[in-house]
Amino acid sequence: MRSIFKTGAAALAATTMLAGAAHADAHAALSGTLRIVSDMSNPGPRATMEMLAAEFDEMHPDLEVDLTIVDREAWKTQIRNVLSADPPDVVNWYAANRMGPYVNAGLFMDITDWWDAGDYAGLESVRGALTQDGRQWGVPYTYYQWGVYYREDIFNELGLSEPATWEEELANCQVIVDSGRACYTIGTRFLWTAGGWFDYLNMRTNGFDFHMELARGEVPWTDDRVRQTFANWRQLIDMGGFIADHQNYSWQEALPFMINGEATAYLMGNFAVDQLRNGGLTDDQLDFYQFPIITEGLPQGEDAPTDTFHVASGAQNVEAARAFLAYVTSPEVQTRINGPDNLGQLPVNANSSVADDEFLQQGFAMLSQNAQGGIAQFFDRDWPAEMASIGMEGLQEFMVFPDNLDDILERLEAARQRIY
Amino acid sequence: MFPTPIEKRSRAARITYQSLLPLALILWLLPLIAVMVFSIRPFSDFTQGNYWGVPSSFEFFTNYGMVFFESDMPRYLLNSVFITVPTVIGAVALSCMTGFALGIYRFRGNLLIFFMFIAGNFVPFQILMVPVRDLTVDMGLYDTKLGLILFHVAFQTGFCTLFMRNFIRALPYELIEAARVEGVAEWRIFWFVVLPLMRPAIAALSVLIFTFIWNDYFWAIVLTQGPDAQPVTAGITSFNSQFVAQYHLMSAGSIVAAIPPVAIFFLMQRHFIAGLTLGAVK
Repeated sequence: MRSIFKTGAAALAATTMLAGAAHADAHAALSGTLRIVSDMSNPGPRATMEMLAAEFDEMHPDLEVDLTIVDREAWKTQIRNVLSADPPDVVNWYAANRMGPYVNAGLFMDITDWWDAGDYAGLESVRGALTQDGRQWGVPYTYYQWGVYYREDIFNELGLSEPATWEEELANCQVIVDSGRACYTIGTRFLWTAGGWFDYLNMRTNGFDFHMELARGEVPWTDDRVRQTFANWRQLIDMGGFIADHQNYSWQEALPFMINGEATAYLMGNFAVDQLRNGGLTDDQLDFYQFPIITEGLPQGEDAPTDTFHVASGAQNVEAARAFLAYVTSPEVQTRINGPDNLGQLPVNANSSVADDEFLQQGFAMLSQNAQGGIAQFFDRDWPAEMASIGMEGLQEFMVFPDNLDDILERLEAARQRIY
Repeated sequence: MFPTPIEKRSRAARITYQSLLPLALILWLLPLIAVMVFSIRPFSDFTQGNYWGVPSSFEFFTNYGMVFFESDMPRYLLNSVFITVPTVIGAVALSCMTGFALGIYRFRGNLLIFFMFIAGNFVPFQILMVPVRDLTVDMGLYDTKLGLILFHVAFQTGFCTLFMRNFIRALPYELIEAARVEGVAEWRIFWFVVLPLMRPAIAALSVLIFTFIWNDYFWAIVLTQGPDAQPVTAGITSFNSQFVAQYHLMSAGSIVAAIPPVAIFFLMQRHFIAGLTLGAVK
């Protein structure tokens, strides 16, 4: 691992000079070892993380940065073990409720003082997502928008335009179904994709605040407003809006339907764009729109999952961890790591600039101007883990057997009363 | 009593047999064939849904190049070697000695000790997960190769002892008595009389344990974390990334990971089969 840094560091030295100078002055005294465990295991993000570690290592001559990258999925089961057995200094995780178990177990360090001291200028808007019990437990480093990615060429062929309301959406979908296609591709084998649909339908039907009340367990699942959400969903299901047998596909395996033109759109996070391009679609064939409005007058809420850095409560080198967090969230680093050559997502710092990419630009505009309702983190991050997994099973079941709705809602309600 | 050899059956039966056999073989090997074909596909084949068709381009060198030069795979492979080889040596050496003691000497509690070795095999190892993990953490062996090796040696010795003890029991006891009459020291009897006779058992057991340990996944993910200590079976999952599974690299990685045990199997096939039946008839 270290050899990578040394070779990489030489190449990066030139680029870090400018960025590093300011920080290096302030934290020149850092020494020892900074141990980071990251779950950025994709080739792209992995390179980004290695670059960050190498640069930080270069900036502080007396400091050794020891980076371990763990498979993203494996990390979800390992994090508790790692934090309690042999805590590193800095780890990756997720914002909002997903922090809960580790905050409650005292495994994340309370870094409210660092926020108050102004370490993270430009991050005020995302502070809420890192707050629990009125304290802050980490910093974000990237996020991305969700929305409807669709085949612009098929829309043009059928004479359709981006729907803004639910009526337009249903009318569009009818035309698409009549042309022998499905409106939406989806793969619900791993359940979370159905969570995305529920998030949007519920936020549009009942509003962001209601959605969060439901997430906090303050509203019963059998509430009529929840039923209304499912009724809207059912309209799409009954007209054949979704591809058949979606419970057998992962989100990735559902991509070919859109690429081959058997389905025209995908409600998904921005990470889908890479895969759609990879599958051979050009930017002329692809476009993006915000999920249509269902109930007039409700401010729109959006899903924009945020990934984070945290300091372990058992960290050995707290000063270096603090400097690293400040470094990662600084405007210049934010612009660079979220740029097209690296993560290809949205920077969390308001003073950063967004990459010149059709979809990122649209997403950034949407989130900054058209999401007054609020920013949600996603079903499996906003709901407590146990409720989320039972909930998503119910959502998938509903998509396959809509008639079971009463059963499902009663089951979810029983789970809610037990869990909260 | 014995099935009639196929050459002696009717012509029709032979033709059916000969035509069904390749079919059954292909069906049986289909998952393996799929993995092999996956490993030479470009990634775009997966996003386009081309799972079973002809690969749109031949990416053997790109994919395997990625596995060998741009991932931690070589590191993981090396870890596997460093974990498997000491485990095999440790477990076989220990069990030769325990097997000798339990097989040759008659002492009070012999059978009880032997049963305890065997009983260890009947404990489903999943229930040991939490205590073993806590133990390794307390001993400072968590996320080290040594921790994994020690555990494997401890756990495999039970099975190996059963195997060795039964093998030694089957040896003619007169040999040992003869040596004792000659006044040979007990450890020399073990070293010069019994050990040479145990060679086939040692070879068979080594091959068996090698494949067991090489293919272990459970303890690899319980006791180790990253490329510093994790063996290849757990390392393959590092091709799973945040949003997408890189099936082409995972397939290539799996094949690379499967080569050593397969090679060992073919090189030592004779011993392997001997190992499976050894001790079965006593």
